[in-house]
Amino acid sequence: MKRQNVPQLLGALIVAFFVAFPFVYSGGNYDYIMHICIIGFFYAILASSWSMLAGYAGQFSFGHMAFMGLGAYTTALFCHYFFISPEPTGICTEFAIGGHYLIVKNPIGVTSTTLTQDCLAQAMDKWNGTVEVTPMPVWLGVILGTIVGGIFGLLIGLLVLRLRAAYLALFTLGFSEILRATISAEIQITRGQAGLELPSLFENGITIAGHFFSKTDKIPPYFVMLFLLLGCLAVLYWLSQSRFGLFVRALREDQDAAAALGVNTTRYKVLVFVVTSSMAALAGTVYAHYVTIITPNNLMILQMSLVVAMAVIAGVESFIAAAIGAILIEFILEMLRTNFSIGGVTVDMTLWRLVFFGIVLMLTLRFARNGLLVPIIDFFTRGHVAAETVARRSDEAADTERRETQS
Amino acid sequence: MIELSVSRLNKRFGGNHVLKDISFDIRGAEMVGLIGPNGAGKTTLTNVLDGAVKPNSGTVYLNGTRIDQLPSFEVAKAGLGRTFQVTRSFRRMTVLENLYVPAMAQGRSHKSNEVKEEALEVLDFLTMAHLRNEYARALSGGQQKLLELGRLLMLDPDLIILDEPFAGVHPKLMEVIYEYIRRVNERGKAMIIISHQMDSIFALCKRLLVLNYGDLIADDTPEKVKNDPVVIEAYLGTTEDRSGTGQHDDETRPADG
Repeated sequence: MKRQNVPQLLGALIVAFFVAFPFVYSGGNYDYIMHICIIGFFYAILASSWSMLAGYAGQFSFGHMAFMGLGAYTTALFCHYFFISPEPTGICTEFAIGGHYLIVKNPIGVTSTTLTQDCLAQAMDKWNGTVEVTPMPVWLGVILGTIVGGIFGLLIGLLVLRLRAAYLALFTLGFSEILRATISAEIQITRGQAGLELPSLFENGITIAGHFFSKTDKIPPYFVMLFLLLGCLAVLYWLSQSRFGLFVRALREDQDAAAALGVNTTRYKVLVFVVTSSMAALAGTVYAHYVTIITPNNLMILQMSLVVAMAVIAGVESFIAAAIGAILIEFILEMLRTNFSIGGVTVDMTLWRLVFFGIVLMLTLRFARNGLLVPIIDFFTRGHVAAETVARRSDEAADTERRETQS
Repeated sequence: MIELSVSRLNKRFGGNHVLKDISFDIRGAEMVGLIGPNGAGKTTLTNVLDGAVKPNSGTVYLNGTRIDQLPSFEVAKAGLGRTFQVTRSFRRMTVLENLYVPAMAQGRSHKSNEVKEEALEVLDFLTMAHLRNEYARALSGGQQKLLELGRLLMLDPDLIILDEPFAGVHPKLMEVIYEYIRRVNERGKAMIIISHQMDSIFALCKRLLVLNYGDLIADDTPEKVKNDPVVIEAYLGTTEDRSGTGQHDDETRPADG
């Protein structure tokens, strides 16, 4: 087997491992380990899509978690406020659609959850169980959240066209904080810091191959997030191998030179924002329906820093490395939660693990700017290039010498 | 036939009037030298022609298409390609990938054998075929300059502007660049060559444009430009300075060194 094929083989083994894992793992704390995997996959989607944005296209954005939050809050608001009813409530905002009514609940904030303030609850109280109100399907919220993320990606992409480096980072940081502050402030609609509750991914459970999984089972969301990650990686791979991948890398290297060679830099800069923000939003929608609550804290800069650090430690110029790095780091951070004692002093690892993480990040930036995994991938995929160059040069020199001798 | 028509081009940066009513035409596969002291406006003129900078007034037509208000990528598609004074290769992309960018920007596929073969031919011509899979950052300064020229071959524009193609280049690589310029010109392409190396400019070009602080002070054959007192005063040095060089025109150096 050629050395260049080793990463593909390893990739296939890793995928096979994660597909088999829920069925073969028997090491205890099953739900907890499965939860870490699901969250690891979630961060892997964010880190790999951010790697496409920052590592491939050179757009160092701090707004990625904001797009995740936009997706999550879109589906949360959609599922929280919109319902379908066969009867009009007469007190909610409602629209007749094909013999049914689209009900829009009135926002009541967090001041009270009494029935007197929620129009739909009042109507249902009046109906006394005679009318069945249908909540919005989760999948529709997921699609809407992804679209909203993409639309905001388009807007931000257009707004940052002329911004580079630190200015772009600051702009996207500002956008992220504005969004978080707005969600926190609009308590009436978003319930502020109390957060919005969402229905589970499979609210009524799901039967797969004759086996019923309840809504709290980990296997269905595990595979949803795993296949979502694999899907995103497949799309990113396809993009990276297409003209899109070539052009965004040229854009990263030198925007003016790329334009002078005929690359529509505006289009590709906006496109890369749309694609990656849609992915972040999609991950956000599924994550929100998995944890069944979304709060402004999910959009905190600390969360964004975590994604950046995961990608940078693994290697920001490879979305595969960023994805693997995110899963590994999520596991390591969880494993480091165990407190220990030194000379009778207990070290609280729930806090100190982040210090450890910060030190690893600093050391990586100082000594391995390509990350820790990218050099390994490069060893397999590009390790032969230098030898090839030398061999070709020798051949060329021999040819030249032969020609000169003959002449 | 290639036709570039520049008419009354003006560009100001604040109070600095960098290009003042510049007008000239290029018809057919001309090889035109653009010279002038530092700060004369040569690079600004290039940037305006290439669409990177918009002029305050004036027009530029290339083959009948007005290009002075087009973005760079559309100017490139209209048939104008350029290199940069400071080499701007895509450093973290391989040599082959650097060549694929202009080909794919024209809608061609890098997966087609045709493009790959063309790219390898270009590299062969530039004596860089063995470096095809290396990152551009691994190349020497001269090789990166050659790579920029290679990208232009893949773009295949009608008019090529070379900004300081000989600066900092080893004599052996300079021969390759000379050969490149001759071959591209033989293909019927027009060229504007910006250089401070007078010997190269005089050897290659049959027409010179001389810029001095935004003014086009001469547009003539090298022989006439060399003897133009205005140009001598502004750029080439005084007659006394030049007397020491006798008939060795190739030793003529710009006044600013």
